[in-house]
This record gives sequence, C-alpha cells and structure tokens, in this order.
Amino acid sequence: MQAVSVTHVAKTFGTTDAIVDVSFDAGRGEIFGLLGPNGAGKTTTIRIVLDIFKPDHGQVSVLGGPMTEQKKARIGYMPEERGLYQDIPLERCLLYLASLKGVPDAEAHRRLQEHLERFDLAAHKGKKVRELSKGMQQKAQIINTILHHPELIVVDEPFAALDPVNTQLVKDLMCELRKRGVTILMSTHQMHQVEELCDRILLIDGGRDVLYGDLDQVRRQYSGRAVLVRATGEVPAVPGATRVLTNPDPSAKAGNGAVKLALSEGATPQSVLWSLMSQGVAIEKFEIAVPTLDEIFIQVVAPLLPGRDPQSATPARHASGGQNPQSQIGNA
Amino acid sequence: MSKLWRIACHEYRRNVFKRSFIIALLSVPLMIALNVGVGSIMASREVNNAPVGYVDHSSLLAEPVPAPVTASSKPMALIPFETEAAARTALEAGKIQAYYVVAAHYFSTRDVDLFYIEPPGTNATRQFYDFVQINLLAGRPSIGADVAHRAALLGDKVTVRSVDGSRHVPSGGPTFGTIMPLLISFAFLFLLLINSGYMMQAVVDEKENRTMEVVLTSASSTQFIGGRVLGIVAISFTQLAVWVLTSILAIAVAHRLGIDWFQDLSLDWGTVLATAALAIPTYVTACALMAAAGATVTSAQESQAAGTPFAVLHLAPLYLAWAIVMTPNALLPTILSFLPFTALSTVSLRNIFAAVPYWQVAASIAIQMLCAVGAIWLASRAFRLGMLRYGQRLRLRDLLRARSQ
Repeated sequence: MQAVSVTHVAKTFGTTDAIVDVSFDAGRGEIFGLLGPNGAGKTTTIRIVLDIFKPDHGQVSVLGGPMTEQKKARIGYMPEERGLYQDIPLERCLLYLASLKGVPDAEAHRRLQEHLERFDLAAHKGKKVRELSKGMQQKAQIINTILHHPELIVVDEPFAALDPVNTQLVKDLMCELRKRGVTILMSTHQMHQVEELCDRILLIDGGRDVLYGDLDQVRRQYSGRAVLVRATGEVPAVPGATRVLTNPDPSAKAGNGAVKLALSEGATPQSVLWSLMSQGVAIEKFEIAVPTLDEIFIQVVAPLLPGRDPQSATPARHASGGQNPQSQIGNA
Repeated sequence: MSKLWRIACHEYRRNVFKRSFIIALLSVPLMIALNVGVGSIMASREVNNAPVGYVDHSSLLAEPVPAPVTASSKPMALIPFETEAAARTALEAGKIQAYYVVAAHYFSTRDVDLFYIEPPGTNATRQFYDFVQINLLAGRPSIGADVAHRAALLGDKVTVRSVDGSRHVPSGGPTFGTIMPLLISFAFLFLLLINSGYMMQAVVDEKENRTMEVVLTSASSTQFIGGRVLGIVAISFTQLAVWVLTSILAIAVAHRLGIDWFQDLSLDWGTVLATAALAIPTYVTACALMAAAGATVTSAQESQAAGTPFAVLHLAPLYLAWAIVMTPNALLPTILSFLPFTALSTVSLRNIFAAVPYWQVAASIAIQMLCAVGAIWLASRAFRLGMLRYGQRLRLRDLLRARSQ
C-alpha cells in the first residue's frame, strides 16, 4: 500500500494554473523527493496532499484513502520557514502543537525533553520562539514535525538555515525514521541532499510532472553520453568526444584527476575506449559518467524556462517518459 | 479535551497573560475608580449641611410647606428669622451657612437676595429653591396646601409620562437603573472594539507566520476558527467579569457616599435582558466579520485599517444621538434599530427616553441573529478561500463567487 498516491491532480487559482497535471506515488518507508524550480507547484501539491486545498481535478490518497481528521494525527508537516508561534515560549508552543496531534501531556513532555536534548535546545525551552536563531527555530520545527511519531512526514526545505553539523543530525534522523518505516515526502532545492537521501523523486515544472522514478534509475537513464577517464599521463583528444571544461563533475574531482568526456552524436563509450587504447594511453580508470541530479535538473528544467525554444524541451520530456508517471522508469 | 477546546484554551492563555492585556483590563476599573473618586471628592466639597436661614417679607413662607425630600439629599434645617439683622447675627456667629431675604414685592418681581460669608453648598441653594417652589405651589388656589404637602413628601419619586404613554422620564432625570441598558451596550461595544481586533489580529498573525498551515494539518478549519471564537469570547467574559465586579464595588461606594445618581439602583430587567439578547448576536457578528477581514487581508498592518469601518459603524448611533433622543420613535431611530451595526446602541438609547415597541425589539433581535449566522458563514468561507493567499488580498467578489478551495 502506498503512503501517498496522487493521480492527475490539477488546481487553479483564479486565472493561474498552479498545478496542471501531477501524479506520483510514495511508498511506505521511503524518502521521496519532490523537486522543481521556484513556482513549479511543489508547495501547492503538498497542500493538496495535506488537504489544506481541495484539488479541482484528480484524486489524492493518503495512508490508504482520502484524508480524514483522524489521519491528521499520523502526519507530520513542516512548512518552509516559520510555522511556530513566535510570541510564546518554545516548550509551551511545542507541547500545544503536540496536544493537537493527540499526544498525552505526560508523554509529550517526556518526548519533548528527549528531542530538545538531542537537538541541543534544552537550554532554550523557556525562551520565546522569536528569540531563537533561525537555525534553532528550524530545529524546533523539525521536533514539532516528529514529536507525535507520525507515519508520514511532509517537509519543505528541511535543511534551510542549518549548519553542517545540524544538517547531518537531520539527515541521520531522516534515515532513522525511514528504517522505522516512516514515509518522508521532502521538497527541496538542495540536489546533493536529494541524491544522498531520496529513494525516488518527482520533478515538477510548470505544474506538470516532468521526471519521476527511482533515483538511481533516473541517473542511469541520463547517463551514457559521457565517460570518465583517468590516465597516467595527459588524456589526449579523442574523435567523437569533447572534454568537459565547465561545470566539472564532482565525481571526477573525487577520482583523482579523472576527466569527463562528453560523447558526440554517433560516438559510443566503446569507440572512445578503443580510440584511447589505439593511441597507447595508459588508462587507469574508464567508466560511464552518471550525471548528478543538479545536471539532470538543469537538463530537464532549463529548456522549459521562458524564452527558450519549446522544441528543446522535447528531449527532456522524452527522457523521462513524459506521459503518465505510472508507466515511467523505476515505478515502485 | 477536544481540539476545539485546546485551541480555545491556547488562544485564551496566549492573550490573557500578555502584559498589554492586563494593562487594558485594569485600565477600565482604574478609570472608573478615578472618576468615582474625583466625582465624590468634588461632590463632597460642594455639599454643606449646615442650616440655612431666611427672612420672608412677602408672607410667601408664612405657613411653610417643608421642602421636598429627595433620596440623595439629607433634609436641611431652614430657619426663619424675623429680621435681617437677626439673620446676619446668626450668620456671623456661624449658626447658619447663609440666609435668603424674600422681597416684600416677591410676587411681582420674584426678587430673593442671598447673603453669605463663604459660598453656600449647592445642596443648600437647591433645597431653598425647592422650598420656595413648593410653597408657590401651595399658594395656588387650584392646587392647595394638601397637594403641595403630598408633592413635598414624594420628592423626586415622580415619573413624568406623556399622554400617549410613549415617553416617560423620572422627575430627577434618568436614574442609574434606567440608563443601565445603555451602559451594558457601551460595555459590549467597548469589548467588541477591543476583542474583535484580537480576532482579526490572531488570524492575520497565523497567516503571516504559517502556523495556520501547521494547525490545519492537526485540526479542521471549523475547529480552528471555532476555537478561536471561543477563546476570544472567554477573554471577553474575563474582561466583563472584572469590569462588572469593579463597577459593583464602585456603585456601592458611590451609593454609600450619597452621590445622587447612584441612589436609585432599581433595574428594568426586561430592558436589561432585551439589551443582552441584542448584544450577544451583535458581538458574534462583529467577531465573525473581523475574522473574515483577517482572512482576506495580507498583513497585520492592513488588518488594522480593515477594522476601522466596523468601529465607525458601531459608533454611528452616538453621532446621531441627538436625533435619537429628541425623537426616539421617529423613522431614523426605528431604521437604525434594525441595522446590524447600529441596533444595539440605538435601542439602548431609545429605551431611556421612550417605550420602544416590543415588536421592534423582537424583530431587531431576530435580524441580529440572522446577521450572526450570515457573518459566521461568510467568515468560514473567507477563511477557507483566503487563509493561504499570502501576499494576495481576497476581494468580496471572489468571496461570493469562488467555489470552496
């Protein structure tokens, strides 16, 4: 059973189409990335999943059916920025919000104390929320999201305002929650966090889903048009391949000086390897380059930006399947 | 505890323990105490119960009917003197605070001279005035001394009624009891102006800081808005309770101090209940409309501006008070008695000076109840449509046309 199932959802505000057609499933115990450029419709999708908005068309199933008041206690939500009462003490604020989720007072106190200790906020529990730093407020929001032990967590930019130590803390927490079978629906612009955490992703642009599926399969789908080569000496020019000079691949850096060669039309990794070997190059490493999610994001979204040739959008949509997500790559 | 009550309790605690609320809460009783204190000090300084003398050269007071006794003033000794010299001696000896000389030709000139060393108390001059008046009345052949004696005994316990029975005013002017419904309506309006502002502010704040989204993933919008209204009502009752207790204390003090206006404390319970029946739906209507306004505007600053027209409408009858007082049952006051924002003050004001027809009161209560229901519907719709439109104002046209989100 899917934790969240969204089928051909559309939503219009006045004359603005916030969402045109979005569909996806998020399975139990997975971290699902909801990606897209600004204004793509991610937040509207989240609000529809949470039943804050009703869709104009389409269907939403959460934890096995339509959203009910009872199910709200099984869901944790962290909006992007703020989301806490600013003018009351932190502890009172979190206990109140936990009480709305149905956590008994004594249990809420116990759990809160644990989490405050873990997130290094115990010393600040008596302070008004507005007196806390942005990072502290972010951590407090995370505590609020998980305090009632939800089965489904929806988080919007969970790493915003967090320093590296706290970012790691939250990532560890998310992995822990996944192990416990909690589904996490995460909206973010931080692609490296998505690569590190997410099992599957949905990329929305212009209110439509443009890329959907298992993260590894998505990356493999976009691989094959470049290779990473490391040689004992300089890697020479190879017919059918162009050295990528800009936007160096982080994986190339990690590979001790491997260079990335983009393949021209008609060239194959085999032809490039053969060419290198025929030139007598002492090859230490030769592998098909898997693109980063950043690269895939730009490749898919950039052609769709205003002012670009609409025709150039076609390859990206084709690459992702571009129709019903249910038939796309890596459908779980 | 249900979520509705939790939200209500949270709203209550969040506001009631704020320093600004406590200051506002205590400022009203302090103001009342200050007014009563200053009033009683001023009144006591103007009162002098020492005897007053008089010399009557006109025989008006030859067989005097005693001065009428009012509930508020102690009877004062009025001492006749045969000669002005005797009266002057008594004045200089401090036996009397002043003396009057009624001229021999009083009946034609109405001349009366007052002699004093220090200005006499206002109660002394008033009592001598009443004394002369009642004796003039007794001297009229058509009335006679018996009637004058009875009038003197009644004092100010006389109600003047118009022939058709539509207006009635106590001879001493409206008493505290008569004016009580108006005070109740003012108290409600004051509460309303303060607390409906809280309502709007609370909704706008939650919209601005996104807590509304978090709460709505825990509770329904009905629980959210219902809890809010309950919380505000509880805050209002807290204020009302403190004010009522303080007022009772102040009235008791004023009564004991003998301040005129607080002597007759009898209430017309029918009018009081009718006022309360009007005040409650008026209050609900205002709160709901403020919540609706809070849901439609984009910032706390804008919400303050949005609340101003409501305040002006509620206070409109006060601007038209003269017209209402002079012709309480005319067309304008009658129309104002039915309109949602003006009904409470208008009916309360009219009740002081006229008998407002029962059907009008009943119809007004019914209209206010319908308005309250309509306002709640509008508020819930505005809340649903406008709550998450960050940076976008919701127009009335959108509110009436759009389908629910």
